[in-house]
Amino acid sequence: MASDRLATSTGTRPKDALATYLSDLAAQLRGPRRRREAILTELRDGLEQATQDRIATGLPPDRAASAAITQFGSPCAVADAFAGELTTAYARRTIACFIATGPLVGIWWLLLLNPSPWRTGLIAFVAAIPVIPLIITAIAAAGGTLATTGRLMRWLPETGPALALAATIAIATLCMIIDLTMITMIMVSGAPTRPLMIMACAASLTRIACSITTMRHANLMQSLMI
Amino acid sequence: MLPMRPELLKGHLDALLLAVLEPGPQHGYAVIESLRSGSDGTLDLPTGTVYPALHRLERAGLIASDWQTVGGRRRRAYHLTPAGHIALSEQRALWDQFSTAVTTLLKRRTWPATA
Repeated sequence: MASDRLATSTGTRPKDALATYLSDLAAQLRGPRRRREAILTELRDGLEQATQDRIATGLPPDRAASAAITQFGSPCAVADAFAGELTTAYARRTIACFIATGPLVGIWWLLLLNPSPWRTGLIAFVAAIPVIPLIITAIAAAGGTLATTGRLMRWLPETGPALALAATIAIATLCMIIDLTMITMIMVSGAPTRPLMIMACAASLTRIACSITTMRHANLMQSLMI
Repeated sequence: MLPMRPELLKGHLDALLLAVLEPGPQHGYAVIESLRSGSDGTLDLPTGTVYPALHRLERAGLIASDWQTVGGRRRRAYHLTPAGHIALSEQRALWDQFSTAVTTLLKRRTWPATA
């Protein structure tokens, strides 16, 4: 491991030792890029401060850097320690994207199908758009996960990283089922092709691609957490 | 003195971090050092415990952070939010209650024999 290797290398320049350590750590962090970069910048500052503190006590720079690295722990251990936070950050960001882009897909289908629940009644409305219960389930799961991994976790039971990731996979799966159902429904209806239909299908196909990518990433992160 | 294992602090780490940040903003490494020096070396917590815990507290809205440039380095300084001050007061009250109960129970004394 890098810390063991560096702790014994007395001839290494401190800056090089810290750079090697951070490079090893960067290779092992998994999660949103900006969050990873922020973690590395923060740890770089901490390591340099720890090195300076040791130099101030009289240690030679190379040994000071090695001692600071040993104190911080191996890149593998530090990456493991950050895995939970990075997973939660990924889940929150992905779920927020689904919530933000949901109306951009839904609006085309609403314009195309033009349902009037106040005229036809709720049952006829759900019959016209049979995915309504799935949409409500996805919104509830997304809202619940965001609430219990964010500020509301002070009052609500906190959702852990594994559960947040599972919720992300479930929401992506629901979105895919919703989009596939809507596309299939409009195709078998035999309705004439209109620009609104093309827009609605294109929006759903784009979200299906995003859902597949999300499921692939999330499954990969899930396998690394086990 | 033996360093305390992080798992022994489970449930109390949040309060300790909030208490360390109460006097003013500090960066992550300074928080680790404050925990160590403030406990006479008892709380020598690893980086992998403190930094992720700070990030979690920020996610919960109990602390906030600002990026500064110090000596050419980018530094992230954490400070308590109003919600963090309230949470710290609550945690202090809970700890007083808990520690009084545990201290009372752990005192060496003769327990009354049960029938």
